Amino acid sequence: MAKQRNTTPRTRTKATPKAAPAPVKIARVAKGKKPQYFADPATDKLLWMTVTLMEELSVTRDRLDTVERLLARKRVLKTQEIDGYKPDPRAASERDQRRRAYIDRMMRAVHAELEEATRSALKSADDPIAAVES
Amino acid sequence: MKFNHHALLPETLHDEQARQDFVSALRGHLSGRVMPGAYKIYQTRVLPAFVAAQGREPEDEQEVRNVMTRDPYYQFWSALQRRSQELLWESVIDPTERLAPELIAKAKPRRKARGSLRLDPALAIPRYHTAADIHLQPGGYHSEFAADDVAAGAIYDKGINLYMGGALGRENDLMGNTLVAYLRERHPARRPLRILDMGCAIGNSTVVWARAFPRAEVHGIDVAAPVLRYAHGRAEALGVRAHFSQQNAEATDFPDGYFDLVVSHIVLHETSKSALVRILAECRRLLRPEGLMLHLEIPRGRSVIEKFMHNWESYNNNETFSRYMTRIDLLAEGRRAGFSADELKLEEFAPKLDVAQMNYAENFFWKILAAEKRAD
Repeated sequence: MAKQRNTTPRTRTKATPKAAPAPVKIARVAKGKKPQYFADPATDKLLWMTVTLMEELSVTRDRLDTVERLLARKRVLKTQEIDGYKPDPRAASERDQRRRAYIDRMMRAVHAELEEATRSALKSADDPIAAVES
Repeated sequence: MKFNHHALLPETLHDEQARQDFVSALRGHLSGRVMPGAYKIYQTRVLPAFVAAQGREPEDEQEVRNVMTRDPYYQFWSALQRRSQELLWESVIDPTERLAPELIAKAKPRRKARGSLRLDPALAIPRYHTAADIHLQPGGYHSEFAADDVAAGAIYDKGINLYMGGALGRENDLMGNTLVAYLRERHPARRPLRILDMGCAIGNSTVVWARAFPRAEVHGIDVAAPVLRYAHGRAEALGVRAHFSQQNAEATDFPDGYFDLVVSHIVLHETSKSALVRILAECRRLLRPEGLMLHLEIPRGRSVIEKFMHNWESYNNNETFSRYMTRIDLLAEGRRAGFSADELKLEEFAPKLDVAQMNYAENFFWKILAAEKRAD
């Protein structure tokens, strides 16, 4: 494993290829009224979050499995070494960022209610259907 | 099923792939293990309760809806199915967003292109696209997130493959193949020289027609620019010649009688009551005498419970027009559009699918609305 020489992350800009294209942001929420499935809207949110959690756990297990298999194949470490690992500040900071993004993703069920309430919302779930049938 | 890679399909990083794999597995589970339970619940507790209360069975899918949406098993499946659909798009948006500038560059028309791309920025996007994002795809087919954007196309290409558990084939070619098979079976002597694919989106079926009839001039039209740019880049990457143009199928700029064959693949149920008749009328105008029209449509169920289950898409997946399509007679729509009764035909075609690939019903059959234009 490469040693971390400097623990404070330096702001060193790499020589970037000229005129790197601007990043593209794609919408994440579909237009249209979101149905309510359960009598208590809190149940909808909890189910939403549970499925997201299922996904993240599945992704994490896949990644961990990849790492462990690659390391074992390269005879780099044994699984026991993972238990004794302590992240350095840079690793800790990267983990923190990833953790925040993860929580943000999980909490979208909560944010969505606010977005819907503040958007000029459609009157009812049937509206887009009525529109095409007229 | 393995999905064929081509230059415009976003390459996934490890976790992006793991997300897509999860979505695929979850949807397979929902379709194979959870959805069939909704039919059992209906038979064993919802229907008996309805009969006990009303002294009769439900007359239509709306009556089934009134009782099923109150059943906790159905509610849970429905909420899970909705969430799986949202996750599906998220899992495809991640790599698309990361690679967007690269994809845009790759899709740009080249001087030595085999086919062509013609866009019309002044074309009005119909309300049936803008009222709600079809299939919950954020931004739908038409929204542009960058100049010369192709994101909607890239998202759709991988998304529809995940949607039906890979059932759409290695190049999302199942629908094109189904309709080509129908043509070869029913009209073996036909060798169409001009073919129009309406509502072609990413041209996944357009490409199938161009390969099946390599001497034909094959056109694909759609109202949405991002999917057309992608369709052009995709067809070029696959080495197939096709001509894509941004047009509304309700009124195109092709001359009368220009085409031997006009087709569409699961497009009609994404339109509207008024658009549907206008599209069929436009098909008739575009066909030469003895020309053929073939529209492949999604099954909408036979029994009231099947119809109700298919209508899930209308209420939960922004397929706003599919509820209307469940209860209408497509042949009558064809007659309203100017076809005579003896020109029209409505047939069922059944491909073999795996249980994990059927989202709302255990019996899956395509509908084909066909018409052979008589000489006037």
